[in-house]
Amino acid sequence: MRAKREVIPLPVRAPDTASGSGQPLSMAVRGGDFLFVSGLTAVDLKSGERMQGTTASETRQILTNLKQLLDAAGSSLDKVVKVNVLLHSMLEERNMNEVYARFFPDQPPARTVCGARLPDGVKVIVECTALA
Amino acid sequence: MREVIAAPLAGLDLRQHYGHHQSPAVRAGGLIFCSGMLPVDPQTGERRHGTLTTEAHVVLGNLKLLLESAGSSLDRLVQVHALIYDSIEYDVLNRVYRQYVANGPPARTVWTAQIEAGFKIQLDVVAAA
Repeated sequence: MRAKREVIPLPVRAPDTASGSGQPLSMAVRGGDFLFVSGLTAVDLKSGERMQGTTASETRQILTNLKQLLDAAGSSLDKVVKVNVLLHSMLEERNMNEVYARFFPDQPPARTVCGARLPDGVKVIVECTALA
Repeated sequence: MREVIAAPLAGLDLRQHYGHHQSPAVRAGGLIFCSGMLPVDPQTGERRHGTLTTEAHVVLGNLKLLLESAGSSLDRLVQVHALIYDSIEYDVLNRVYRQYVANGPPARTVWTAQIEAGFKIQLDVVAAA
């Protein structure tokens, strides 16, 4: 039997690219037992506008959005199993970590953090895998 | 079901040693998701900086300990992301790596990234539980 693959329709839109076109991605896709969430950047969920700020403020915005997105998909922050955090500089790791800790009070997911070159001046990207 | 896997040895608890807000690994849906593995002493948590070769041996040794404590093993790895500090070390990584995944190596992607504390390698893996 083929496992189910389902794009989750969400009241959340990927931010437009610099060229003004939408991005060829779904915010979340369910496959088997898991929900795979695209790398999130800091955006205002209502307007879709980017919210450029500090590493801490972008992390807060992203995780607030992630919570809303997971809830809308029938999952939740409690069901996240793995998170990958990409930072524009590893010198900012502590600033990210402090904010991050507030969103996962106990039994936090497995996580990998690394520094990478991010597009458009973005300071943080968070992607995750959760139980559906 | 989602189950947090504790560190089998104190040194592998990066949350305790370095305040990283993460569990060593999480078991869910028949898989084990490990937090980014780093070259730290599994007993003491001390950073073991060295060459890519020595760091890779420590990381893979730590990964073996963690997976086996969770009832899995290096033979059950399904996917590996190998982050290295410089792509010039790709062949060096492979020389060490192949010693640990002799039987049907897992899917793998290698890329260059900035790794915490100036480490040369970090492994991000998923294994079958």
